[in-house]
Amino acid sequence: MTIVTGKAEARRRLQPGWSGALRKIWEHRADYAYVLPAIVVMLIVIAYPIYYTVELSFFKTPPGLQLRDKSFIGFDNYTAILTSAVFWKVTWNTLIWTLGSTFIAFVLGFATALALHRDFIGRGVLRAILIIPWVISAVAASYIWKWIYHSDFGIIGAVLVGLGLADRPPNFIDNVSTVLPSLIVVNIWREFPFAMIMMMAGLQTVPDQLLRAARVDGASAWQRFWHVTFPHLRNVSVVTILLLAVANFNSFIIPWIMTGGGPSNASHIWITHIYELAFGRQRWGVASAYSVLLFLMLMTLGYFYVRALSGNDRKEGSA
Amino acid sequence: MSTIAETASRGQTRRRSVDGWQWAGRVFLLFMLLYTALPMIWMLITSIKSGFAATQFPPQWWPDEPTLASYQKLLDPQNSVGQDFLRFFWNSLFVSTVTTILSVIVAVPAAYAFSRFSFPGRNFLFFAVLLRNMFPAVIFLVPLFILMRAIGLVNTHGSLVLTYLTFGLPLAIWLLKGFYDNIPVQLEQAARIDGATRFQAFILIVMPLSTPGIIATAIYSFIGAWNEYIYAYTFLSKNDQLTLPVGIQRFFSENTTDFPGLMAASFMMSVPVVVLFLVLQRYFVRALTEGAVKH
Repeated sequence: MTIVTGKAEARRRLQPGWSGALRKIWEHRADYAYVLPAIVVMLIVIAYPIYYTVELSFFKTPPGLQLRDKSFIGFDNYTAILTSAVFWKVTWNTLIWTLGSTFIAFVLGFATALALHRDFIGRGVLRAILIIPWVISAVAASYIWKWIYHSDFGIIGAVLVGLGLADRPPNFIDNVSTVLPSLIVVNIWREFPFAMIMMMAGLQTVPDQLLRAARVDGASAWQRFWHVTFPHLRNVSVVTILLLAVANFNSFIIPWIMTGGGPSNASHIWITHIYELAFGRQRWGVASAYSVLLFLMLMTLGYFYVRALSGNDRKEGSA
Repeated sequence: MSTIAETASRGQTRRRSVDGWQWAGRVFLLFMLLYTALPMIWMLITSIKSGFAATQFPPQWWPDEPTLASYQKLLDPQNSVGQDFLRFFWNSLFVSTVTTILSVIVAVPAAYAFSRFSFPGRNFLFFAVLLRNMFPAVIFLVPLFILMRAIGLVNTHGSLVLTYLTFGLPLAIWLLKGFYDNIPVQLEQAARIDGATRFQAFILIVMPLSTPGIIATAIYSFIGAWNEYIYAYTFLSKNDQLTLPVGIQRFFSENTTDFPGLMAASFMMSVPVVVLFLVLQRYFVRALTEGAVKH
């Protein structure tokens, strides 16, 4: 019931009536004082850059940020991108990176949350340890794993050789076919705790009476999970997956520090590629066009994000 | 031995399957614990090796001669490595603290307004706030760099504080709004009937009740600013301005083989945020889930 109302509210809110809007704004003028600081800061640092990126994407720009010398070239930057082979390679990498990391991190996080749901000795300590990778800096994480994967002195290679599974330590991140999965392992290491926290909170909202009733009726553990627990976690799952997907799509540090996109673009994802185009090769116009494409894709994703959130936010309408 | 067998045979299918799931859960937790902890343990072990001991094959699982030399080097203000590291540390601390204080000052009134008032444009603003979360730093980098250059903030900590503040705000507002939603409006109404102004009610009633939320928001801003890399990497080029993530990267791209030093630096960079998190994790976890999970 409430969820349905929430959705209707959300739709209505997204198409505001403009009649008498000015009068309403005037009536509520004092309320704006509270949000004014936030708006001013965001207009400067967010709205202006977005506008400027769109503008630059239609220009041919000289290197070195002497941007007065730019010249208008219409959609040339866009056609150049869409016809380049690197673009499709990087897009494919981004897809694997985002879907792989999101899916596995979510499944591992959810499973950990379920396993931690029952109380046992040491649960709090275990939970705290499991969250640490999410708290530490991605730069530190990248260096730790780079050292673990090291082709001469890495511990994984040494273990594989010690167990007789390899003749010599494999080269994980300097190898076109293993680099992306290796980086995804690092990314999941950092991200599954987030899914775990979200799903643990979600699990607390599943009513105990329902689970007990199902048990009395003879439902197996799996049936209780599938028919009672899981339906209750639909909303929080959607939000968690979307947040993870957005974060993964936007990640930069792990590929940048560990490989810099190499070898031969095998671990370049959109963000690292754009960064290299802009600050490495100083092709500001092309990089901006890339950013605009990225922006459009994220807007599509954002549409689902907002829908999931407003379906989840029943208080919104009544406040 | 016999009792176990008896229990198993007496137990019905249902009970046995429950135990099966429980065991699967334990094995899985053990696996996750190893996955999480082993890399960190290896970081610690490496950090107490000598440079020679770290580059052995097969590796020394525990160093023959454990040494704190790497830590001493990084923390010694007399030598140049220590000077750099301590300066980076101080820079990170300064930027993160200023960002945190400003975030709370700006986010508290905004979150309160989003939670309580219904001014026109409120919902649009709120979704704009949430949508901001979606856009990657790279989109903003070029124009922001130009903007920072225009207002003379390149190579200053001001550029980082301004950027972190802005990009931390959406999440901060979202977190805090969750807390304000849970504080009954009746409390404020009672205060106003007793003659308090809206502002007084806000300061005297709402603020104290939302302390957990403010703490959570503060930790969140601090950790975010402490770990931020891409803006610091782009906006700062002078060595004495760098924050830790960038400073460490610069330093170790010049000394590529000092793995114990790198691991010691990674460890010390992690200590402040991990300690902060462990001490205040109650607030942190609650705030994160407050917004997304409503019953």
